Amino acid sequence: MNWKMWALKKSPWVFHVNTGACNNCDIEIVNCLTPKFDVERLGIKLVGSPRHADALLVTGVVTRQALPRLREVYLQTPKPCVVFVIGACACGTGIFRNGYHVEGPVDKVIKEIDPQAIIAYVPGCPPKPEAIISGVVQALSIL
Amino acid sequence: MNKQELNNKLTQVKDKLIAIEQKVDNRIYLLCEAQNAYDVNKFLFEDVSARFVIATGIDDEDCFEVLYHYSYDRTGCVITIKAFIRDRQQPKIQSIAPFLPGAEWIEREIHDLFGIDFPGHPDMRRLILADDWPDGVYPLRKDTSRPKPVVSVPDSSREVKE
Repeated sequence: MNWKMWALKKSPWVFHVNTGACNNCDIEIVNCLTPKFDVERLGIKLVGSPRHADALLVTGVVTRQALPRLREVYLQTPKPCVVFVIGACACGTGIFRNGYHVEGPVDKVIKEIDPQAIIAYVPGCPPKPEAIISGVVQALSIL
Repeated sequence: MNKQELNNKLTQVKDKLIAIEQKVDNRIYLLCEAQNAYDVNKFLFEDVSARFVIATGIDDEDCFEVLYHYSYDRTGCVITIKAFIRDRQQPKIQSIAPFLPGAEWIEREIHDLFGIDFPGHPDMRRLILADDWPDGVYPLRKDTSRPKPVVSVPDSSREVKE
């Protein structure tokens, strides 16, 4: 393991990207930060800029309007970074498949600009905070 | 005003309506043509003082429908004005936003998605479609096919580097 990977896994700072979610996944992500789960005790911190982030938490189908923004956010995140795809919509567009505004799913969009991207999936509608934490732990432990 | 009085009151606009349908006890439909919809809305809002809830657009293949839903909270009755727009080429219906500002955004949304024009609307800008969405393509019309995906070539000078 090179030192970059070691640093990435040590204390992953995450940036939250909503690309057209119904806000339910976002609520569950924020829930992870509340006192009951309190992921900050594990060094996972929500930051306000993708340039400070080690990981992106992406929720929602990628809408036409959000597509260039998601690309830009991914390009501005320092590499290596992990993309966590949170929720059924982000993982595979879910019930919005073939919708007129849908350009997703997220992994397709990310792989278009970076085929080597590290992508982890947390399905669920919405995934429970336990599932999100479990997904993050499992993804980081196999890196 | 109880149920009976409400029903009596609604008969005042009967000449502007095609029909009054009452499917269940607390659900009344007022069917009218598009050109009478403004007057019926104004009557329901100002004379009956029903509360405007939302409007709906429907593509019925041979015509467009705009449904204005009102709630008459004293009896819990929901009154829906069903306005038929027969002209599919240039669908338009008088805006109710001048006397009912709460209808502004939903009329903009219906305009975005169905291309129904609302003359008299104070601010008919695009509301919910993407900024690069082509003009004149109305996604919820039955005869609209999906427009081409966004054409954008990722900038090769900005390759992802570790």
